[in-house]
Amino acid sequence: MAVSTQVSTQNNRVRRRIASAGSRRLLLFVALIAPVFLLRFATAAYPILQTIRLSFTNQDLIARTNDFIGLQNYRTMLTDSSVTGALSFTLIYVIATTILDLVVGLMIALLLNTVFFGRTFVRTINLIPWAIPTIVAGYMFRWLLDDQFGLIPYLYQLVTGDRMVVFINAWSARTAVILVQVWKDAPFIAVVLLAGLQGVGQDLYEAARVDGANALQRFWRITIPLVTPLLVTMGLFRIIWTVASFDLVYGLTFGGPGVATTVLALRIFQQGILFFKFGYASAIAVVLLLLVGVIGVLGLWLFRRTDVAY
Amino acid sequence: MSTMNTPVRQTRSLRPRLGALWTYLLAISYSLLILVPVYWLVRSAFSTASQLNKVPPIWLPAPTLQNFTTLITQVPFFAYLSNSFWFSVGTTLASLAVSFLAAYAFARLEIPGSAVLLWVLTLSMALPDVGTIVPLYRILAGLHLLDTIAGLILVLSSTLAPFTVWVLVSFIKQVPYEIEEAARIDGASLAQIMWRVLLPVSMPGLVTMGLINFINAWNNLLYPLSFSTSKAAKTLSVSITEVFAGYSPWGKPWELIMAVGVVMVAPVVVLVLLSQRSIVSGLTRGAIK
Repeated sequence: MAVSTQVSTQNNRVRRRIASAGSRRLLLFVALIAPVFLLRFATAAYPILQTIRLSFTNQDLIARTNDFIGLQNYRTMLTDSSVTGALSFTLIYVIATTILDLVVGLMIALLLNTVFFGRTFVRTINLIPWAIPTIVAGYMFRWLLDDQFGLIPYLYQLVTGDRMVVFINAWSARTAVILVQVWKDAPFIAVVLLAGLQGVGQDLYEAARVDGANALQRFWRITIPLVTPLLVTMGLFRIIWTVASFDLVYGLTFGGPGVATTVLALRIFQQGILFFKFGYASAIAVVLLLLVGVIGVLGLWLFRRTDVAY
Repeated sequence: MSTMNTPVRQTRSLRPRLGALWTYLLAISYSLLILVPVYWLVRSAFSTASQLNKVPPIWLPAPTLQNFTTLITQVPFFAYLSNSFWFSVGTTLASLAVSFLAAYAFARLEIPGSAVLLWVLTLSMALPDVGTIVPLYRILAGLHLLDTIAGLILVLSSTLAPFTVWVLVSFIKQVPYEIEEAARIDGASLAQIMWRVLLPVSMPGLVTMGLINFINAWNNLLYPLSFSTSKAAKTLSVSITEVFAGYSPWGKPWELIMAVGVVMVAPVVVLVLLSQRSIVSGLTRGAIK
C-alpha cells in the first residue's frame, strides 16, 4: 500500500515535470515564432482582408468618396478594357515566360553541366541577370531596343537590311517584354536545375550508354524524368512571382503601347497609388488574388501528380 | 569484326571534338548574350549624350564621368544612395533576426501542429505583395511610417521572412543536435545556446540568406515607389524612374539613366561574383529542400 502510493506520487511528479517541460516548450515555441507571425499578420494577412473589404467601396482620395457600393467595381471592370486587357496579357505573359524559362533554363543547365574550359566563368556570370535589379534591366533593354540609336535594331539592320521598331506595335512590344523576362529569369532556373542535374549519378548515364541508348534517348528517358519534379516546383514558384510583379513592364514599356503590355499588377499600382482610387484598385487586386489562388490549386494538384509519379 | 570496329572508333574519336565545338559555340554565344547588354549599360553610363546618339554606335567611347557629376548636382543622389543602403542593411538584419528565431523553433522544438504552421508561413509567400499596397499605404500613414526607411524595412522584411525561415530551417536541421545538448548539460540557458552555440554554427546559412535578402532589398521597387514621397525615403530604384521621366533636348537622357543603372548594378554584381557559391546554395536549398 505504502509502496504503491509512493510509486504513484513519483509517477505524478514525473508526469507533472514532463507536462511542465511540454508547456514550457510550447511557450518557448510560441515566443520564438510570434515575431514573424505578427509581422506577416500585420503586413500581409490583415491588408489582404482590408483589400477585399475595400473592393466593395468607392474609396477615392481625389474624388473624396467612401461608400459601400457592393459589386459595382467588379461590374465596371467587366467593361474596362484596361483591366480585361491587363488580365489577358497577364495570362499570356505568365504562361509564355514560364514555359520559355523552363525550356531555356534547362538548356542552360545542360550546357553548364558539360565539361568545358571556362565553365566556372560561365557559371559565375550566369548569376548576373538574376542579380541585376529588374527595373534596371527594363531600362537597359529599352535603350538597347531604342528604334533610333539602340544596339539591337542597329545589328538587326546590319543583318537583314530592315528597320526594327519594337515599342510602337502591340505584339512586338509584348514579345520584347516576354523575351527580356526570360533573359532575366532563365539563368536562375538554370542554377536550380543544375543542382538537380549534379545529383544524378553518372553511372546511370553510363549504364544507359552501355545498353545502347543514344544521347536523345538518354535525355528523354533519364534527364527529363529526373528533373520533372524540379521543373514543376520551379514553374509554380515562377508563376506566383511573375503574376504579381510589374517591375520589368514598368521600365521596359510602362504598359504601352496603349495598354498592350499592361499587367494587372501595374494596373493596381496605377489606380491605387498614382490615382488614389483605393476601392477600384482593391477590386483589381482581388481579381489578381483569385488568379493566384486558381494557379496555386492547379499547381499543387500538378505537384501531387508528379510527386506520385516519382 | 575488324571492319565493324573501325567506323565505330572513328565516330568515337570524332564525336567528342564535334561535341566540344558545339559546346564552345554555345558557351561563347551565351556569355555574349549576358555580357553585351551589361557592357552596353556600362559604356552608355560613361558616354556623353552626343556620343550615344550616333549611327553606327561607338563601341568604345572615351570614358567620361560627366553623367555622375550631373546626377550629383541635379538630384539628391547621395541621399538616394544612402537610403538604398540603409533600407537594404536594415531589411537584411530585421528579416534575419525574426526568421532565425522562428527557424530555430521549427527546426528544434517540434510541437504538434508546427509542420502545419510552417506550411502556412511558407504559403503566405504566394500572397501577392502588390495586392496589399493600398491597405499598407493607409496602415503606414496611420503609424506615421509613410515616407520613412523604417516603414519600408518593416514591410519588406515581412515579405522576405517566409523564404528566409524556410531555408534557415533546413540549415539548422543540418547542425548536429549533440552540440546543443552538450551546451545544455553544461548549464547554458536557451539564450546562451542560441547566441553562443547555434548562431556561430548557423553562420553559413545566415550569410547566404543575408546576401540574398540584401540583393532583394537593394533591387526592390514596389515598396519605395509606393510609400516614399521625398528624399527622406526614396531609393535608387525610385530615382532611376524619376531620371527616366525627365526629358533632355536629345530625347530621353539615356546616359543619365544608365549612370544610375551602373550605380545600382555594381554592388550586386560584385556581391554575386564574390559569393557565387554561397548564394547558389541558398537558392537551390529553397527549391530542392
